Amino acid sequence: MASGGSACSEGDQVLVEENSSVRKFLFNRPRQLNALSFEMVSRLLDLFLACEVDHNVKLVILKGKGRAFCAGGDVAAVVRDIGGGNWRLGAKFFWKEFTLNYVMATYSKPQVSILHGIVMGGGAGASIHGKFRVATENSVFAMPETALGLFPDVGASYYLSRLPGFFGEYVGLTGSRLDGAEMLACGLATHFVPGDRLLALEAALCKVNSCDPEIISAVIDRFSEQPYLKGSSAYLQLEIIDRCFSRRTIEEILSALEEEALNSSQGWISKAVQSLKAASPMSLKISLRSIREGRLQGVGQCLEREYRMVCHVMRGQVSKDFFEGCRAILLDKDRNPKWEPSKLELVSDAMVDKYFSKIDEEDWEDLKLPARPSTLPPSAISKL
Amino acid sequence: MASQPQSPSDRVQFRTQVLTRHINQSHLPPPQPSLLSASICLQYSPPELSEPVDFDIKEMRRLMDGHNLEERDWLFGLMMQSNLFCPRKSGGRVFVSPDYNQSMEQQREMTMKRINYLLDRGVFKGWLTGERAEAEMRKFAGFEALGIYDHSLTIKLGVHFFLWGGAIQFFGTKHHHEKWLRDTENYVIKGCFAMSELGHGSNVRGVETVTTYDSNTREFVINTPCESAQKYWIGGAANHATHTVVFSQLNVNGSKEGVHAFIAQIRDSNGNICPNIRIADCGHKIGLNGVDNGRIWFDNVRIPRENLLNSVADVSPNGQYLSAIKDPDQRFATFLAPLTSGRVNIAVSAVYQSKIGLAIAIRYSLTRRAFSIAPNEPEVLLLDYPSHQRRLLPLLAKTYAMSFAANYLKSLYVRRTPQSNKTIHVVSSSFKATFTWHNMRTLQECREACGGQGLKTENRVGHLKGEYDVQSTFEGDNNVLMQQVSKALLAEYIAAKKRNKPFKELGLEHMNQTCPVIPSKLASSTLRSIQFQMDVFCLRERDLLERFAAEVSQHQAQGKNKDQSFILSHQLAEDLGRAYSERAIFVTFIEAEATLPAGPLKNVLGLLRSMYVMISLEEDAAFLRYGYLTTENAAEVRKEVKKLCSELRPHALALVSSFGIPDAFLSPIAFNWVDSNSWSSAQQH
Repeated sequence: MASGGSACSEGDQVLVEENSSVRKFLFNRPRQLNALSFEMVSRLLDLFLACEVDHNVKLVILKGKGRAFCAGGDVAAVVRDIGGGNWRLGAKFFWKEFTLNYVMATYSKPQVSILHGIVMGGGAGASIHGKFRVATENSVFAMPETALGLFPDVGASYYLSRLPGFFGEYVGLTGSRLDGAEMLACGLATHFVPGDRLLALEAALCKVNSCDPEIISAVIDRFSEQPYLKGSSAYLQLEIIDRCFSRRTIEEILSALEEEALNSSQGWISKAVQSLKAASPMSLKISLRSIREGRLQGVGQCLEREYRMVCHVMRGQVSKDFFEGCRAILLDKDRNPKWEPSKLELVSDAMVDKYFSKIDEEDWEDLKLPARPSTLPPSAISKL
Repeated sequence: MASQPQSPSDRVQFRTQVLTRHINQSHLPPPQPSLLSASICLQYSPPELSEPVDFDIKEMRRLMDGHNLEERDWLFGLMMQSNLFCPRKSGGRVFVSPDYNQSMEQQREMTMKRINYLLDRGVFKGWLTGERAEAEMRKFAGFEALGIYDHSLTIKLGVHFFLWGGAIQFFGTKHHHEKWLRDTENYVIKGCFAMSELGHGSNVRGVETVTTYDSNTREFVINTPCESAQKYWIGGAANHATHTVVFSQLNVNGSKEGVHAFIAQIRDSNGNICPNIRIADCGHKIGLNGVDNGRIWFDNVRIPRENLLNSVADVSPNGQYLSAIKDPDQRFATFLAPLTSGRVNIAVSAVYQSKIGLAIAIRYSLTRRAFSIAPNEPEVLLLDYPSHQRRLLPLLAKTYAMSFAANYLKSLYVRRTPQSNKTIHVVSSSFKATFTWHNMRTLQECREACGGQGLKTENRVGHLKGEYDVQSTFEGDNNVLMQQVSKALLAEYIAAKKRNKPFKELGLEHMNQTCPVIPSKLASSTLRSIQFQMDVFCLRERDLLERFAAEVSQHQAQGKNKDQSFILSHQLAEDLGRAYSERAIFVTFIEAEATLPAGPLKNVLGLLRSMYVMISLEEDAAFLRYGYLTTENAAEVRKEVKKLCSELRPHALALVSSFGIPDAFLSPIAFNWVDSNSWSSAQQH
């Protein structure tokens, strides 16, 4: 059946459309910009695992309802849970979410994510790991975690660190927004398709009936175009980004940027400086370390490390910046977080080390990722 | 026919099947190429999905790398993210490695460009001007990480920072430091180190270059009096260096004061060779072609009096030779002692290269299959053959042992005092020779273990042999160094016996105790006990030292002088040098092991330690030659090696993953070699 029987109810946070060879999953929480709830993450994980063993399914398409693809994990809910006195509830969410990220990264079938709108944090994690990422003129990408007292998680230390040069450090530390053209240029997106062609693209994909990535890529190519990078794009200044963001420490990065700002009138440099100064010092330091380690690790190792880190963040023993960030940005919305430690120089190496250590608490476990089939496509094998 | 079905109904069925097959076959179209390509051939199955991990790999890496882990990771990232380091995609992964297919001149320019890139990123900040111990450890870590990329890169840096920079630091005094160190760190000047000559290498005191003081102009005048005095193999001299340290005989007022070091400029800031200097290239080499080794001749080169590096001796303006150390032998020793840093570096880097070779060969052996042992069975993984285990796993154990020994050597060097100079000299000589020999052997075995794939430059193992062969020669020929070790042990022995005092240096304290006894029957548990292992190593060292001392004194009694006697006893000297080295390495292993709590990490280290000892026992004929082990003991040792191989086999992947070498610095055969060799990959180049 070409049109497929859609089996969903409006109350579902993830809608599923079935076509004989394609499964379409639609994030359905438009009022929350499709922020990922525990329920959504669990459902999506189940769906992905089921499709992997279902021989009828050749291709998975992921998209969002409304103006966002997905604005991230439902952090406010997580903070509520932790506020209730149990950070383990939050840990459960991240365990599930990171497992989903891992399954997507090592998925044996192609995943096409249609990024027609906001893609942030957890939304990036639910798409960038997949094989195909279609950006549009409406795409807005960001990893804004350092402004929230968190760090780029969901396997971002894997994919950010693999962007050209030190662009990943720039995106992950400053939380800068990228548009669709920039996403394509740096490799976060694999294709750029104008929004008005998306329906036709989806229809064509439903007819492919193949899981051969080259065939699918060729189909998307038919709808793609080459967008222009705006003249003010930071991506055009990769040389400056490399010079600054390749430095050993956050402090050195910041002073290199300030030096560049003196000799340049480019807006993005002073914006980057402002973002770094406004972000949580603790977050900046653990984020930089995480991206640097991630560059040398497989995606599974990245997620395992990030899980340790996020548990430390929620536990709040070294710093409570995550709660402060959520308070200032999401709850009170005064946009004036009081970070503690308040300055970069007050964050010691030992404090940073702590985030990468095992949590010394009874019945706490390191993230255990599910076993993957031994016959994976080469692109998935290369991420291990 | 045994396989023929017996019952009538079976027989009918059998006939029907045969006929059906026959008929169907005749209707089949002739085989098409597409049918061939659709058949599933050998599949690459990532070892990560099937091999167990029983201990914390990160902890193991921390133990092995020992220090500055974040710094190392930063450097790896710096290299991976820049096109200067030639990233190449293969099998869906990115690998970085120099393009060794470039000409020698191109490779040299690339090395310099890479150095400039690292300089711009602030990598060398503090290397010469920072707080000593901290800066030295950072420098070591930097060298280790950069050396994992390319030997030329670290040698070019090593000449500039350790040799030139080290000479200024250690042979120079305050005004030299102020004048040169910061400029060196920032590459305002590029230094080299002119010590070896065509006619003199290890025998530095024999160099023929002559420097004479001219008190009229208050200058030194440097000369190359003959062809054998030309400076040879001077890294950096052929293309880039602007300054050099020159080792030369010093003549003041007609008297010969021995070898001293001077600073001379050889190029101006535009790269033009200075007047009275002649420079020629050493040419293409079997490796290290990214380093511009050159030859230098000095023709009455005049340098200011202040350019004498005067930490141990000086010449006054009016031409008075001044030195606090009267004995020229002692003066020379004090003078050269700080230069052991080069030897420390070489020793440590040899261990890292062995790690690269083993990581690649072992990863390959966990994915490559050859021959089925039963019909219709899948072929067997290379590392599941006991013979393949026997080839690689003992080398793995030795590499672990040497890794701990290298960490000990670094800390010994960084904590150095004037009193520890002798120990550092002996330990660094012994470890430098032992590790570099081990490295060449390991690389050869790993190359062979990778079969034909090991011959491809992109797979690194084979190429590294050419790159690292030089290690057994530079900074002291290995054989000469090992003789110096035995000589030092002998001196220690004679001193202790003469004064009837206990041994207290060079780890010879065990000589103060009663001679250990080896049990006649060696159970597995005994063989694996630290006590037995220590005993058997000490027994060998002790006995060989006594034999060596006896033989030397016998020669002396027959009228030979000390040096002649020593030369004639070279066989025992060699045995003793080895005995010392293996015991010293072993001690560092048990010290590292002792820092760990009981658990899986400690258990696997225990296996490696036992393997290290067993393989040492098996390989050194001295144990049987001098009867430290009986032939029955030797058979038990051999059996234990086999057992340990199979016990280490499940840990093989985790053990090489703990080396902390990022995937990008290994090679395509260490990963998905089917995909990296596929037709579609071939189209992308």
